[in-house]
Amino acid sequence: MNRQKIDLTRTPQTFCWGVFLLTWIEIYFHKGDISMSKRYQLKEVILLALIGIIFGVIYYAGDFLYNGLSIVLTPVGLGPMANDITMGLWCMAGPMAAMLLRRPAASFLGEFLGAAGEMFLGGQWGASNLISGFVQGVASELGFTLTAYKHFDWFGLTTSALTSTFITFGWDWFRNGYAHFSLQLNLILLIARFVSMFIFCGVLVKLVANLLERAHVTKTN
Amino acid sequence: MTQAIEIHNLSFSYEPQLPVLKVADLTIPRKTMTLLYGPSGSGKSTLLKILAGLLPKYGGQLDPGSEISLKATEAAMMFQDPSLQFAMDTPWHEAEFALENLQIPPVEMPARIQAAFATVEISHLAHRQFATLSGGEKQRAALAVIIAMQKPVILLDEPFASLDPVNRKRLLQQLQTQVEAGKTVIIADHDLSNYQAVNPNVIQFGTDHQTQVLTSQAVRQLLVAANQQPVIPAKPAAQFPAILTGTNLKITQPNQVLIDQAHFQLPANQISLLTGESGSGKSTLLKVLAKLGTYQGSLLYAGQELRKYSARRWGRKCGLVFQHAADQFLNVTVAEELALSQKQGRHPYFTPANLQNALTKLGLAALTDRVVYSLSGGQQKKLQILVMLMMGQPLLLLDEPFTGLDAKSAQAIRELIDACQATAPATILVVSHQLNGLADWVDCHFKLQNQHLVDRGEVLA
Amino acid sequence: MNPSLKLALVLLISLEVSFTQKLGINLILIMIGLILILKTRPSGLTLVRLIAIPAIPAATLAITIGAFSPGHDWFFAAVLASRIYVYVCLGSAVTLATTPLELARSLEQNCHLSAKFAYGTLAAINLVPRIISAVKTIRAAGQMRGLTLSFWSPQLYFKAILSALTWSDQVAQAMESHGFVDDQARTTAHQIRITAWDWVILVVSLALVQGGLIVLP
Repeated sequence: MNRQKIDLTRTPQTFCWGVFLLTWIEIYFHKGDISMSKRYQLKEVILLALIGIIFGVIYYAGDFLYNGLSIVLTPVGLGPMANDITMGLWCMAGPMAAMLLRRPAASFLGEFLGAAGEMFLGGQWGASNLISGFVQGVASELGFTLTAYKHFDWFGLTTSALTSTFITFGWDWFRNGYAHFSLQLNLILLIARFVSMFIFCGVLVKLVANLLERAHVTKTN
Repeated sequence: MTQAIEIHNLSFSYEPQLPVLKVADLTIPRKTMTLLYGPSGSGKSTLLKILAGLLPKYGGQLDPGSEISLKATEAAMMFQDPSLQFAMDTPWHEAEFALENLQIPPVEMPARIQAAFATVEISHLAHRQFATLSGGEKQRAALAVIIAMQKPVILLDEPFASLDPVNRKRLLQQLQTQVEAGKTVIIADHDLSNYQAVNPNVIQFGTDHQTQVLTSQAVRQLLVAANQQPVIPAKPAAQFPAILTGTNLKITQPNQVLIDQAHFQLPANQISLLTGESGSGKSTLLKVLAKLGTYQGSLLYAGQELRKYSARRWGRKCGLVFQHAADQFLNVTVAEELALSQKQGRHPYFTPANLQNALTKLGLAALTDRVVYSLSGGQQKKLQILVMLMMGQPLLLLDEPFTGLDAKSAQAIRELIDACQATAPATILVVSHQLNGLADWVDCHFKLQNQHLVDRGEVLA
Repeated sequence: MNPSLKLALVLLISLEVSFTQKLGINLILIMIGLILILKTRPSGLTLVRLIAIPAIPAATLAITIGAFSPGHDWFFAAVLASRIYVYVCLGSAVTLATTPLELARSLEQNCHLSAKFAYGTLAAINLVPRIISAVKTIRAAGQMRGLTLSFWSPQLYFKAILSALTWSDQVAQAMESHGFVDDQARTTAHQIRITAWDWVILVVSLALVQGGLIVLP
């Protein structure tokens, strides 16, 4: 047991460096786009923050879902699954913003500015919202980076759901103690998280994006 | 500075070759109040936004030959929706934000802001959260910010739309004071009933996107006509059995009591009209009846307290035709909206043949593949009313159903409602500021004034 | 303390405790957080929510680790549960003691964040009451057409985003009408400084946390 703990205290740094590395990969991928993301207009900044906040407001209904699931699942030892099942709902703003604006950094900004907004909205998580917002933003952005910002479609969304699943899972590995769960439980949680990500950040976001596209409000470059 | 604002060969369009505004020659004198008057969609707001430098930056194309002798930095604009014009949380902070943008040295700010706030008499509201201010107070705060900015030209886009009579009168007086102090005030409005006291210049905007400066005689006629309303014959509501009864009903908004009524009853299965000055609380009352707002006291529908109905159950009992048509739609195309109401609706009148007939009469039959949000204002309104009639709720509330409709369309809507009523009568409550054609159509008439619902039928009898 | 530095300090400490397993330091941080929160004189409701809402995730994690995981490590279970309260207490200590405007001004002046990000986000925050009532209206529009819209309904998001598009356009125009120009210099009504004292607090706090992490269990 002691040995296991020593391993754990080493891996956090690896993970931190991993997230940093991914951030830099993203920055590298849109070197030219960093100046472009600076050129986000005022109204787009407001829109991105609004999208993040709207998803937060709608999600408050989902809070009950989380609590209910927790209470049902904890006695059978699957308590953390409530977190994984609802995780997709938390991460929808990013892919939604990407599908709407179809630009580098949209996904990150939608998620992160939303988190910045929510931190003042009686959200009891306060400023620590920013950390999860940052991680989730990087995670969902990475999916669109890896598809070279050319796939604002099923492929991009699925990739983004995958990157979101793995990175947020890695984050919970340390933050929420997933490292201490059995391997079996971790596999179940990982699968549950991916299913949630796929349903909410993939299928549901795509359905909303379809409606927006048919209503001719999506940016088409 | 003292030269008039000259506009030459201005042409503005959102889609190529389809100008929404064309002005060959227009002169707007400085240091006066000028009213841009015309129906919605005639381009008056567009002209204001061009003057403010917001268009074409926020969409559309301005013809390169257009000439305007006004620098956008000379003007500041006040908007129709009081709550969508501030970035900050309080009037004081918003004024600071504006002055920071103008790069005013911080030491000059407090005096400048205090003076502006004193001018429009909102010093006591300076540090209140916007969310706790009434619409009128927000508009006055917006004016105060513009005065603090010391812009010579003040542009206002339908600034009175949601203001109560007291605040409207006050705001208008304050604008008049600004004109006397040498400012140029340009207002876009479709309703002239407020302006008799200030005697502005009027530029009329037609639906053909042309503009025309009116003579002072024509202006006077228009202003007088705007204040004349046809008399609506009505029966006392007490004559009919009541379906909805209010007792000690009180409806409030931040800083404002809208309705304070000991007793009120709505007659079952009749068409009732609700009128009152803008901002008096008509829309708010409809929202409360649709369970989108709160009330104190009691409101009984069919003997049960409104609060006790679940949202789902109330949705089956009561339909609200929103003032803003796009709020009603849930899908993308006209056909989808119709399909939803066909699937979920229960009104017996709408057999496939009758529906087709209604679509033809309303001029919607050829539009079924169109995106609802791309329809004109009038088409959206007609579709909106149709899909709500198809639902067949026993209580139907209509908030300004005739806005943006020509006389023929409005008549078609009334005929459709009559046909529905003949098959399966519902209790209908209509809020409308436009009274043409309503004289023989409504059964009862309530007027909301001084926080009271007055039964005009009783007054007339 | 300077809002930006305060935020940075809390984020750094939160990150630090995410990657360490010390119960003692967590409890001390919770105490400090609570004291800072009480200093802002919060309402009773705020306090109750602060303590009650994280209870479910904290208990869930603790029970799963303690009762169902291979190690049955109740010490680590307590670390995790207390960690959640560290996030909540420190996070709320910042947000309760700082208004969004103070933070936006500080980020603009001290961290040279572009004004459009600072004030654009602020404008969105101030629209929250409007967002809530719009979501209610959309759901009512659904009920009237026989549809119950909830967080799984595409239409709910679709309509809300349509509103957001209109609002962002209008608010941006209003801000420009109040003189806002992208990337143009602005003056500051209230200068927000970073004092030497702020730096001392930051460095000493971080050092104390480090020390605590080494010394305490």
